[in-house]
Amino acid sequence: MKKKFLSLVLAAGMTMSLLAGCGNSEATSTQSQDTQAQTAESSEETSSEATEAVAATADDVTITMMFSGVASENDFETEVLPKLIKEKFPNITLEVTKLPDDQYYTALKTKLASGECPDIILVQPKYAGSNSVIELAKAGYLMDLSDLSFLDLAGDAAKEAFTYDGKVYGVAQGVSILGTYYNKNMFDENGLEVPKTWDEFLDCCETLKNAGIQPIVMGDKDAYVMQFGLYQIAANEVYPNNASFDDQLRTGETSFEDEGTWDKVLEMYYELYDKGYVIESSLGLGAAQAIQMFVDGEAAMTFDGSFNAAALTADGKVDFERGYFPLPAVNGDTYASMAPGGGPAVYAGTQHPDEVKAILEYWFDGESPAYQAFASTGNVIITYGYGADQNDAMFDAFLDLYNQGKAWYWCNQAWPSGTENEMESLFGSMIGGQGTTVSDITSGMQMKLEELLEAN
Amino acid sequence: MRKKIAKCVLYFLLILYSVVTVMPLLIVVSSSFRTTGNMTSPLSLFIEFSLDSYKAAFTKMNYINEFINSLLTTGGSVIVIVLIATMAAYPIARIKRKSSKMLYYFFIAGLVIPAQMVIVPIAQMFGRLNIPNTRFTPMIMFITCSLPFSTFLYTGFMKGVPVEIEEVAYMEGASLWKRFSQIVFPLLKPATVSVVITQGLWIWNDYFFPMVFVTKRSQYSIPVGMIQFLGDRENPAQWNTLFAACVLCALPLILVFMVLQKQFINGIAAGAVKG
Amino acid sequence: MKKKFRGASLVMPDRMYFFVTPALVLFLVFWVYPVLQLFYYSVTNFNGVNYNYDFVGFKNYARIIQEGSLINAIKNTFIYTVIIVVGSNLLGLALAMLLNMKIIGKTVFRTMSYIPALFSAIVVGFIWSYVYMPGSGMLAALLNAVGLDGSTVNLLGNFKTALYSIAVVDIWKNVGTTMIIYLAGLQTVDESLLEAGKIDGCTEWQLIRKIKLPLISATITINVVLNVIAGLKSFDYSFIMTNGGPGKATQTLMYIIFKTAFNDQMMGKASAFSVVSFILIIAITIAMLRFMNKREVEL
Repeated sequence: MKKKFLSLVLAAGMTMSLLAGCGNSEATSTQSQDTQAQTAESSEETSSEATEAVAATADDVTITMMFSGVASENDFETEVLPKLIKEKFPNITLEVTKLPDDQYYTALKTKLASGECPDIILVQPKYAGSNSVIELAKAGYLMDLSDLSFLDLAGDAAKEAFTYDGKVYGVAQGVSILGTYYNKNMFDENGLEVPKTWDEFLDCCETLKNAGIQPIVMGDKDAYVMQFGLYQIAANEVYPNNASFDDQLRTGETSFEDEGTWDKVLEMYYELYDKGYVIESSLGLGAAQAIQMFVDGEAAMTFDGSFNAAALTADGKVDFERGYFPLPAVNGDTYASMAPGGGPAVYAGTQHPDEVKAILEYWFDGESPAYQAFASTGNVIITYGYGADQNDAMFDAFLDLYNQGKAWYWCNQAWPSGTENEMESLFGSMIGGQGTTVSDITSGMQMKLEELLEAN
Repeated sequence: MRKKIAKCVLYFLLILYSVVTVMPLLIVVSSSFRTTGNMTSPLSLFIEFSLDSYKAAFTKMNYINEFINSLLTTGGSVIVIVLIATMAAYPIARIKRKSSKMLYYFFIAGLVIPAQMVIVPIAQMFGRLNIPNTRFTPMIMFITCSLPFSTFLYTGFMKGVPVEIEEVAYMEGASLWKRFSQIVFPLLKPATVSVVITQGLWIWNDYFFPMVFVTKRSQYSIPVGMIQFLGDRENPAQWNTLFAACVLCALPLILVFMVLQKQFINGIAAGAVKG
Repeated sequence: MKKKFRGASLVMPDRMYFFVTPALVLFLVFWVYPVLQLFYYSVTNFNGVNYNYDFVGFKNYARIIQEGSLINAIKNTFIYTVIIVVGSNLLGLALAMLLNMKIIGKTVFRTMSYIPALFSAIVVGFIWSYVYMPGSGMLAALLNAVGLDGSTVNLLGNFKTALYSIAVVDIWKNVGTTMIIYLAGLQTVDESLLEAGKIDGCTEWQLIRKIKLPLISATITINVVLNVIAGLKSFDYSFIMTNGGPGKATQTLMYIIFKTAFNDQMMGKASAFSVVSFILIIAITIAMLRFMNKREVEL
């Protein structure tokens, strides 16, 4: 044993001394970057040719696609879509895999690094997440999709969210909402109505609490759910006062530490925890368990996205009617937190650009069986074509706001990826009673932001 | 009398410990035999017997397919590891030189570096060498990551094989390869058992490399297949299926362990003690 | 290098080194080179996707030293390591000693404590997520069954208990392996020494303290070292069960490296983290080995 570990020291020493010889790795890296740019260019050329020719080429091809999320029963992406694609294009086999978010990021990064990326990948709008369209497009990994014919149907907001340097690199899957799901029966039994101002909302919670009902359940063990509440508040309290708050974060004109911005948002959200409106064990609950508790009628409200609508409207232990409202603003002038949803993008190095584009054209054309199946999943809010008039009535209040232009994107879409993680960790410390204060959180977020902006 | 009391206390402690250890597993197994969605009073063990959850898990995992992938990659990796690790250990153990020592330390240094740290540069290397993603791609990393431990273990064992045997064979005109494959290698059987078991165990259970280096769903191994249940771990409505999947995932190893218990125990102990 | 001519050199010629080639090539290409590249990335601002990166000198290092997250991660990793080293070894040794006696059902007990080691970390993570779940998990149900209030169980959501709780999971999985290694060590202890001790009137405790422990000191070293390395490299349960939370309470070194690389997209900084932890792991292992070897001699 002694020998073994002496040897480790020696080996470490060797590694250090070998370090001197690694200078050439820079050359290799830049070289591989060149090749990447080249593949991107060449695929652009081929893609401008007619995509209609696809059906004619009878060669059997397999297209791979990787999405994040957890496959549900009769899942659209992993089961329904491949079947419908096969029906339309008998020579195309679509292979879809789904990984949970963290695993997805890891797999995506390594697959990009190894040049073995699936043809279709899920990207997030603007800067959101580790699979943000801007970062990936900037690095030359994505194929230009500007010439897809359905993009105009989707509208400018959807296009803009996936644009980098004037070109469109991704397809929005409808729009997604962050809102507050509530149990209508519980509200009725306690004589409550959908609150119009923040104070009314607090009164609602107080009434429910006094009636022995847990007002809000959140699965904060999966810290990302904190965004669901916080971004709703930010849409009301930050952006109406300064629409370019986030752009100015990047230039240094604004800061998370500015008074009356994020300190206010965090304070308001913390109040819900401080007063016991949010379930006390939230830090130990997972997101799925929180949804289950809401569905089982164990809490009156939960903050969640329209993308989880299917799970939140599933049958639970008790039957009740569900509603969905945007968290109201302090002054009653409420905005919705809505954004084009993440969607598919195409890997620049794909061997089958035409087939992939044909798939996307078919999937999003607004009327095909694939589009109809997509629109019927209940997890997307359709903005055009089949099903645009059949969105769940739950979403009406939001769509009204959206159509009046009273909606803001999700904050993290404008922040460098990682800022929101810092916010979640620190907010977790605050509700976990670690003595973290609101100003600790805002200064932590600002530090992280500055570091990330400098690094990228 | 005092001895008897002491013994009773000992048994009590052992049984208590076993119960604590096995309790979670018992509940998992018992719940997996319930109909999907029935998680009421999980502590009442084995009150229901249904294969519904297993059927659900079986199809959701595409079990047969994943099992074959796991078997092929684990089996293939272990065979290659045994082959090239014994080969590497042969000169290191036999040639008494500084260069052998250097090689020895060089390999062992790999032990302290976790794969998560190095995964991006490794992926870049795969890209540079144009290695495609197939079900067999993770094997390269399984083999590479097993080399430090295996070489180290084989070197230790090989030093215990008397040189005289080989000298006799040399006199009789046996070639180097023949000496290695027909005389030395068979004598290393305890070490081989140890390598096969310890390395086979982690390779079978590893989800990281297959997750990163396999793209197609049909090429997944069992542990990667398990990842898709990650969202279910906190959802009481899905537990029965999740638990059935857990059992299906561990079952092959448990069966092998039951059959080869002695080899397992000796293999693990030998690996550590000889090291 | 000086060439030593020995009788063996005819039997063991230099061309034997060809045998190393396959292993060496694999190791150099897929392990050593990538590790060296990591050293290089640690002085760049590479973000993991965009290859237009710049050399930034030791900025990444300066940053992680200034920042609190490294200290926090080191602290968590140390606590975790200490718990699993002490827990696994005390429990493993105690079990091994019990099982080394003449006991009915020895194999059954041995099998039971080893079975968790057969499970994949991801499955173990699932099972224990269920055990710890507030409200409806196994612990909560057990407490309810004995008449206590199970609804207050929230081990993973509590800053004070989360790290300990995932360390317990690690002990649960690995104590069987530790126990088997101790058992093998104990079986090498010469019975006659123990008999002699008994004749001299040693109590059971004295037998353990004065005879058994010194004789298996090498085994203790192995187990401690194995557990220390496992602790310093710990990643799985923070990743599968808690996502580093609540707050940053279960962020270990490996976890924070992973997060920095894949969520913050700062491969350069993550590489600097890696280099620091690499050095740290080696330094600790060596320091510990020195200490243990000294102890071995003293005992």
